[in-house]
Amino acid sequence: MITALLILHGLLAVALLGALTHQLVAVLRSGAAVAAAGKSTFLGRYASVGQCGFTTAVVVLYIVTLVLGALIYPTYRIDVRIPFEEMMLYWAVGVFEVKEHWGGIGLGVLPLYAYVWRPQQASSHRRDRVVVTALLTFIVWSDFIAGHVLNNIRGL
Amino acid sequence: MESRISPVVFALVYCIVYAVVLAFDWPLFNYYPQVGEFTWGWTPKLEGAGPAMTWYGLMATAGAVALLAALILRDKVVAAALRNWLWLFPLGAMLACVYFMRIFFRQLFI
Repeated sequence: MITALLILHGLLAVALLGALTHQLVAVLRSGAAVAAAGKSTFLGRYASVGQCGFTTAVVVLYIVTLVLGALIYPTYRIDVRIPFEEMMLYWAVGVFEVKEHWGGIGLGVLPLYAYVWRPQQASSHRRDRVVVTALLTFIVWSDFIAGHVLNNIRGL
Repeated sequence: MESRISPVVFALVYCIVYAVVLAFDWPLFNYYPQVGEFTWGWTPKLEGAGPAMTWYGLMATAGAVALLAALILRDKVVAAALRNWLWLFPLGAMLACVYFMRIFFRQLFI
């Protein structure tokens, strides 16, 4: 059961990081000149999407992925973290601690993320929109990589 | 219809409170996975119950305080005053987490 939840957690994380990365690339390349010049390239086509359309999907995917992670967490605490400590792999414990806390912070940032992606905030909160999306993307990518590295050291 | 909960205030207060409760270890509750029991954060740790998990309680503390603040304070004032600097709060909380967790990485630098 835990293995199935872990796989589902990982698959949803892939969908989430895909959505966030797509949105981030699109908003970074949304300058008029870049958009006009770059539509014929792969990156141009990748970026020419409706950016606001990702917001609801990102919020829902983030919450569901985090809930699944929270369900798996007690098993990690008993079956993985204690062996890490016995093997003196304190850096691995630390990597997981940072992963969980960044994930928790990301959860609280979701209302701000949804706010800055409202159409009426497009011009007034442009920098907030770019950086908050970049931070969430960074959290999801780093948590995803950390989870994989730790699972490779000792799986659930 | 305008929501009564201010999303900007919620997020900013959540980030600040999360960093503070992490620094001072003030979870609303603890969970003991080995015995499947919860205790309030201000009660003494359970003896012989195995490791305590604070993460859920930390999020609950930050979420409860942030919700209260988001019901009292209005977005318009905060969002206008901090326009385009709102991202500093999550970034600061993330950096604070790394700083508080530095003890785990000491072995890498010895």
